Amino acid sequence: MLRLPKFRLEEPTTVEGATALMAEHGEDAMVVAGGTDLWPNMKHGLFEPKVVVSLKRVEAMRGITVDEDGSLRIGATTTLAEMAQSAPVQASAPALAQAASLVAGPQLRTMGTAGGNVMLDTRCQWYNQTHFWRKSLGYCLKKDGTVCHVVAGGRKCVAAASNDTAPTLMSLGATLAFASADGIREVPVGELWKADGIWNKKAERSEILTEIRVPKQAAGHRGAYGKLRDRGSIDYPLFGCAVRMDLGEDGAVAGADLVCVALVARPLRIKRVEELLVGKTPGTEAFDSAVQEVADLAYAQAKPMDNIPGDAEYRRELVPVYVRRTLQAAARGEGPVHHV
Amino acid sequence: MAARDIHGIEAPWTEFKVVGKSHRKIDGMAKATGEAVYADDIQLPGMLHAKTLRSPHAHAKIVSIDTSKAEALPGVHAVITGKDMPIQYGVIPWTPDETALAVDKVRFIGDEVAAVAAIDEDTANAALELIEVVYEELHAYMDPRESLERDEPQIHPNRKNNNVSKHVELEFGDVDGARKASDVVVEGHYEFHGSTHTAIEPHCAVAKVSPEGVLTIWSATQISHYVHRALARVLEWEPQKIRVIQPCIGGAFGGKSDPFSLEFCVAKLSQLTGRPVKMLWTREEVFYAHRGRHPMSLDYTTSATKDGKITGVDAKILIDGGSYSSFGLVTTYYSGQLLTGPYDFPSYRYDSTRVFTNKPPCGPKRGHGSVQPRFAFECQLDEVAEKLGMDPIEIRRKNFHGEHTKTVNGQRITSSGFMECLDKVEKGSGWTERRGKLPFGRGLGVAGSMYISGTNYPIYPNEMPQAGIQLKVDRSGLVTVFSGANDIGQGSNSVVRYIVAEELGMDAADVRVIAADSDLCPVDLGAYSSRVTFMVGNATIDAARKLRKKIVTALAEKWEVPEARVRLIEGRAIDLEDTERSIPSREAFEIAEARFDTLGSTGAYNTPTLGGDYRGGTIGASPAYSFTAHIVEVDVDEETGRITVPKVWCAHDCGRALNPRLVAGQIEGSVYMGIAETLLEDHKVNRFGLHSGPSLLDYRIPTAIDTPEIEAYIVESLDPEGPYGAKEAGEGPLHSAIPALANAVYDAVGIRLRELPFTPAKVLKALREKREQESKAGGAAAAMDRHLGTH
Amino acid sequence: MRVLTLDVNGDRLETAAPDHWTLLEVLRYKLGLTGSKQGCDKGDCGACTVLVDGKPVLACLTLAAEAVGSKVTTIEGLRPAHLEGGGTGVDPVQDAFDRCGALQCGFCQPGMMLTARALLNENPNPDRTEIQKALSGNLCRCTGYTQILEAVETAIAESTESEPPRPAWTQDHPHVREDAL
Ligand SMILES: Cc1cc2nc3c(=O)[nH]c(=O)nc-3n(C[C@H](O)[C@H](O)[C@H](O)COP(=O)(O)OP(=O)(O)OC[C@H]3O[C@@H](n4cnc5c(N)ncnc54)[C@H](O)[C@@H]3O)c2cc1C
Ligand code: SF4
Ligand code: FES
Ligand code: FES
Repeated sequence: MLRLPKFRLEEPTTVEGATALMAEHGEDAMVVAGGTDLWPNMKHGLFEPKVVVSLKRVEAMRGITVDEDGSLRIGATTTLAEMAQSAPVQASAPALAQAASLVAGPQLRTMGTAGGNVMLDTRCQWYNQTHFWRKSLGYCLKKDGTVCHVVAGGRKCVAAASNDTAPTLMSLGATLAFASADGIREVPVGELWKADGIWNKKAERSEILTEIRVPKQAAGHRGAYGKLRDRGSIDYPLFGCAVRMDLGEDGAVAGADLVCVALVARPLRIKRVEELLVGKTPGTEAFDSAVQEVADLAYAQAKPMDNIPGDAEYRRELVPVYVRRTLQAAARGEGPVHHV
Repeated sequence: MAARDIHGIEAPWTEFKVVGKSHRKIDGMAKATGEAVYADDIQLPGMLHAKTLRSPHAHAKIVSIDTSKAEALPGVHAVITGKDMPIQYGVIPWTPDETALAVDKVRFIGDEVAAVAAIDEDTANAALELIEVVYEELHAYMDPRESLERDEPQIHPNRKNNNVSKHVELEFGDVDGARKASDVVVEGHYEFHGSTHTAIEPHCAVAKVSPEGVLTIWSATQISHYVHRALARVLEWEPQKIRVIQPCIGGAFGGKSDPFSLEFCVAKLSQLTGRPVKMLWTREEVFYAHRGRHPMSLDYTTSATKDGKITGVDAKILIDGGSYSSFGLVTTYYSGQLLTGPYDFPSYRYDSTRVFTNKPPCGPKRGHGSVQPRFAFECQLDEVAEKLGMDPIEIRRKNFHGEHTKTVNGQRITSSGFMECLDKVEKGSGWTERRGKLPFGRGLGVAGSMYISGTNYPIYPNEMPQAGIQLKVDRSGLVTVFSGANDIGQGSNSVVRYIVAEELGMDAADVRVIAADSDLCPVDLGAYSSRVTFMVGNATIDAARKLRKKIVTALAEKWEVPEARVRLIEGRAIDLEDTERSIPSREAFEIAEARFDTLGSTGAYNTPTLGGDYRGGTIGASPAYSFTAHIVEVDVDEETGRITVPKVWCAHDCGRALNPRLVAGQIEGSVYMGIAETLLEDHKVNRFGLHSGPSLLDYRIPTAIDTPEIEAYIVESLDPEGPYGAKEAGEGPLHSAIPALANAVYDAVGIRLRELPFTPAKVLKALREKREQESKAGGAAAAMDRHLGTH
Repeated sequence: MRVLTLDVNGDRLETAAPDHWTLLEVLRYKLGLTGSKQGCDKGDCGACTVLVDGKPVLACLTLAAEAVGSKVTTIEGLRPAHLEGGGTGVDPVQDAFDRCGALQCGFCQPGMMLTARALLNENPNPDRTEIQKALSGNLCRCTGYTQILEAVETAIAESTESEPPRPAWTQDHPHVREDAL
């Protein structure tokens, strides 16, 4: 078997209990929610915490509620399957439901959580491998080594953010609530990231994400998620893009956003998207050509690297295709864009 | 010799009662309920767990190994290295170039270096980290062309032809002459990539050694007998003191048909420790064990007349064998020998060279050796048809070699239902109405193929039967069959049950099969080359008929009637002319036991003498060949380059379908696997010499939503030598799926893909090139217009 | 090492295991329930699928300790549950898999059948695409999924008293119009 390293499991039942344990054990502790990312990584020897604090028994962290103002509160240990199937999420944040429905395969969505997806470790073909494999290759910057196999001579890890829901949360302007022994702090999801593949979050490893808040979207909100992958299930994204498109009363675009993943260490917001789309009405030629311009923009800004498996050149070529298709799907109120 | 008896295609008693129907499998319920015991399900008291230390270098000398720290770790019971088992072995006795653990040098990243037995896996893993190995790295060969050209360092020392594993060059008829005289010539270069079996069960073996020195080993192997022989050789152990048991096996596809390091290691470790030892490989280790499809570079030239008759085929093939020989000698022959049907061509030449590289060793994967050439050739056939404006199905009909004939390389063909296969897929797919009329991006492609039902080359030369069966019958009414064959999920034990029930007129449920236990069962050579149903089926008929004879004789005597009046049917023995006289099988067995003493019989099968009269002529010589035709429908997304396969029609001539449902399952599984390796799978080694992603996440095999709808058709050209006319079904139906897909892509978007796998990136590239060419041609035509216009 | 009280197939079982042992390891090597299989041990294949509180999850990525307090169903539990519910023989899903020839090597099938069982509990009449999607986390290398889909559809046909699927080869084949089962 591919054995887990030895550790002690803690199963607190309250957020306070969890934060206290994290404070107590400091660097030696990691949290686990669904475990669908942490356990494979630990089996590969990528993390060796002495203590693992499971969030599974913290009842307060699970479930989806709709606030009076129409915003969504998604408990961090809500499973991806629950999120994908939730009627309020489908109604008010369709791109999020779509992205959640395309994460991994069915069992993993039943296990994997909303919070775990945000906090997912970055991925790289030279890193997500067994200890034997990495040792044979020579360790890299992200774990135990001094070189990067993606960027020759690179001093910074460029392992890819590969979490499908992250770009949708960014496009929706979600806020994250983190708990620690020092209390609760709120972070707009767009401000969570940094361009460092080793740890791509501006959060302490001991902080616990307790809740994801998705603000009420505009009345004419449309959203869609596009995901490129080889198989129709199980696979991580080779490229992912989340679209928010708010239509005004006149049917023209009033606001828009486009955020991509599986490129670099952080989810990448494509710049100048709103500018190009605002005022264009879906179904018109002007809209179509604006969409094409956005696709070209994405092509210029989004440059896949040889970090995750899959031909980087090809992934790049598909950026504009998926961006265009996802924008059009959002405009039609459809999605996700996925080959099956 | 009884072994060569031909039993005929007819039912033993006027009509079939069991055979030909879709019975449940003998082990179905055990598998459905989780009761079936696979190798890793075996736990023995006091059992130790073993782990393997592997080479981190692709090619290196072992300077020294220090195991002392590992041995000193509490909980470690034994550590072994190559010097504990230095005798070389190989599944093919002429090419023994493997050792249980590396001696002196390592040849790929993942090569086995040492093994540890400890109280649990965690301790064994910890011990591996404590073994100190000093290596001296050598130049590593990643490109087979380099292996061909460069001779130092040698991957296997002291071979006369450097890094060449095997070279075969054979010519039949006058290929060059045929080419000169032909009207159409198609030339092309094809690249076939590596793929691996990916049985869902990882390899696992458990061994124990009794104080009397009897070694019992349970292994997830599909060739118990060769494991038995290899263990005896390497461990220098008397074969009669070795018992090899194959428990239920979780898929094989050729990937479990070599003796593997873990089998020797558990045996040795058990001998040293006096305790049972288990070794279960991780998924990653299974990727290193590999023995999968050989990458091949193929140059083909096909010549034909203007009415579409093929006159010559010329092939030059470079085979990347990876680091060891494995079945490579056979692979090299198969790459040429098995192409000579279902079409007749008067001249044929192949020049195949297998070289060693420092990559995981290749071996037999479903459709061993012949899937790659089939791809190249069937694509060329499509091109010939196109050049001549012929329908691709027509050209295949036109060149059909017929039944009861001989191929250009001297192989005897008996029955062939190939034409019916073509008819079936043509009709099923709506070929005539739909081909060429689908919108751009959609297309249909066809291809055909042929495969062996066993071969008369028995791996090691001997005069003994290739398959053996033993029957025990007693007064309980139960018939127990002892079969040496390895049921790898294809259902060979079920087939044995149906045949015995048919012959003895029994309820199939009252026939039990005990298989693949060398203490109990007669020798069978194993589950490879699609030989089991054919050979074991024939041996079973042989044994059952001998027994039937006794039962009938005893009853005839007892009832004082001629033997012809006695009939065994549906669990009873009856007198055909006096229907009052009817007794259950059990009573019939009692009467026979009283008359003849304890009842039993044996049966055997050997192939007739077959094959061309030249060196290697018996390789690929099969007592019967199966035939297949595929039509594949594709949908090509021009923008993403993704090829989707909505549907595949596959008709397969398996002779008599002993259980049609099992045949359909083999066809569907083969089609799935063929499409999978065409579109998704790639067993790649990266620029560092490491397997690029040895996991089921990175080596992508299709899920239920990635798999096309598969329409299977069963064609039954009853073969005179098969059991009731049966032939193989497990490997043939993979072959033509691949070229049919390639041909469909051409129909859909007009590109000829010659390099597998057909990734979306390659499709986009080919489409781009096509557009460029068209615009150049368009530009040239426009320039010509202008030119003409100005004058 | 901790003492775990697990509810497996309706039995309360006490066993002891270190914290880092997965549910799969405890089921297979401590409780002897070897019906749950291991094909990758890291979430890629679905062979280890068991039901936890009725939902298919991967036992190789679940700690044994995390399963305390939940109802675990393994393949060994389907038949007894079916009998307890007043049925005869085996669970209709198991029976359909056997009859349809879906159990080739059988190694992926405990996980596959449990996933199918959970699907049918939730949605008694899924269409083919829904079945394919639900099973898309369980890799099978033998069948090409065709007889698996047929088996699930056969189980559905039985429970809804509708026509079971008839693949092309059964319509065309002279000997199998009436399947002898
Ligand atoms: C075969 C396979 C395929 C996959 N495919 C995809 C895919 O396509 N797309 C995708 O996005 N993901 C994929 N995943 C990864 C994973 O299943 C999901 O991302 C899932 O959402 C992770 O959630 P989890 O609860 O299981 O995370 P865990 O494994 O529990 O945790 C992941 C990380 O986040 C941390 N963490 C978890 N919860 C919190 C919290 N509340 N606060 C702070 N830190 C926390 C953990 O310490 C850990 O570092 C795949 C996984 C596998 C095994
Ligand atoms: S990008 Fe990949 S190879 Fe480079 S440091 Fe990061 S994980 Fe390692
Ligand atoms: S063994 Fe659990 S998913 Fe493969
Ligand atoms: S039946 Fe063998 S893997 Fe599915």
